[in-house]
Amino acid sequence: MKETIICRCEDVTLEEILKAIRSGLTTMDELKRILRCGAGQCQGKSCGLLIAQILAKETGKPIAEILQPSTRPPFKPIPLKATAHDDV
Amino acid sequence: MKTADAIVIGGGIVGAATGYYLARQGLKVVLLEAEYLCAGSTGRCIGGVRQQFGTTTTIRVAMESVRLFSTMEEELGTRVEWYQGGYLFLAHSESRKSEYLKVIRLQKEVGLDVDFISPDRVRNIVPPLNLEGVLGAAYCSSDGQANPFLVVKAYADHIRALRGEVVLRTPVTQLKTSDSRVKSAVTLNGEEYTAPIIVNATGPYARNLGNMVNLELNCLPERHEALVTERSEPLFDPMIVDYRPDGCYFIQVKDTGQFIGCYTPDPRVDGTRIDNSIEFIKEMPRRMLRLIPSLKEVKVLRQWAGSYTMTPDGSPIVGPTPLEGFYVAVGMSGHGFMLGPALGRLLAEWIVSGKPSIPLDEFSFGREFKTGETLK
Repeated sequence: MKETIICRCEDVTLEEILKAIRSGLTTMDELKRILRCGAGQCQGKSCGLLIAQILAKETGKPIAEILQPSTRPPFKPIPLKATAHDDV
Repeated sequence: MKTADAIVIGGGIVGAATGYYLARQGLKVVLLEAEYLCAGSTGRCIGGVRQQFGTTTTIRVAMESVRLFSTMEEELGTRVEWYQGGYLFLAHSESRKSEYLKVIRLQKEVGLDVDFISPDRVRNIVPPLNLEGVLGAAYCSSDGQANPFLVVKAYADHIRALRGEVVLRTPVTQLKTSDSRVKSAVTLNGEEYTAPIIVNATGPYARNLGNMVNLELNCLPERHEALVTERSEPLFDPMIVDYRPDGCYFIQVKDTGQFIGCYTPDPRVDGTRIDNSIEFIKEMPRRMLRLIPSLKEVKVLRQWAGSYTMTPDGSPIVGPTPLEGFYVAVGMSGHGFMLGPALGRLLAEWIVSGKPSIPLDEFSFGREFKTGETLK
């Protein structure tokens, strides 16, 4: 289980996520802020649903009640130079 | 009905630090948080910690905070990503330079190790910086950065370990008084928490809490936006502050290598709204690249916003209020994370022993809000 990577961008493992949930971090927002899962290059597009499933299983809530963290712009990473001028 | 020695409302840095220091003094603390730890301003800040301020009290409090940050990992037994990479306030004009020279005299009098440094030294500290028009910079190498989420979590874990309670997802809907002193806090789920001491540490929502006991708090939230980039190789250490009207401030996070920064919007955006603007994602990169052009290929991962809860003079409101037992630590004016550890400790001293070890008259509830913090 130590080797099961859930968030590939930030190298967060299943074991770390389970440990965090059992310590009282019971929402995706809280997990993201402490473990950084979903805070990396893909902004949770790869791991978001996996983490929601883990949370649903651990907390006994239906997955529909597991709230995803806010989606924030930009939709995909863009270089600083892409918007740093007037004709955008 | 539940009872405690002290109720702290707000699970950001100010509430968590105050709760921790009260618990350390032996009080049974209940911390009530409407959402989750760091859901408000603390979790939206960019994690800078500086001591370069423009008033004696704020400089002293900030220096105490840096002392606490420096010993925090040992004291709390966990990593908080504290790193002293300094703060660099660039001067692009003679008037800015003389303003910095003046404030540096005051800072030195208070005992801060700070200097106005030449463009050559600026280049040594931030090699890729565009020095065009830079006359020098105010620089303090002991300023730094830390991870707000880890700091607040560490304080909260210790509150629990010191037989306190940290109650999440529990908004306070009513404050009750009796015989002109504060008596209890009622939460959305109908629970009533009774304590002789209640601390308002609710950041942008501080006025709402004040209104519950007919106490007008002179602070209002403004929206500030921020962005963070992908990880990069280490490029520079300090927070770079550009106070020009179209300036910005940003830092490279030591632990993850990400660049993170914001600017002060003009005109102000009042209120608790914390949505994103398209202006910011255009302006912020332009302002960053003007200072460090070589960042142009670094990718932005996300933008967000948070609240600066401003007082008219830019200094916090901390201490007792006319309502017996009701204390405030509000109106942080954008400096909550950096001042929070010290203010938490000082407010706990004030509550327990009647007097903080650093006088906080300048932050008092009843002040006239006249003098201004120049380094807002």
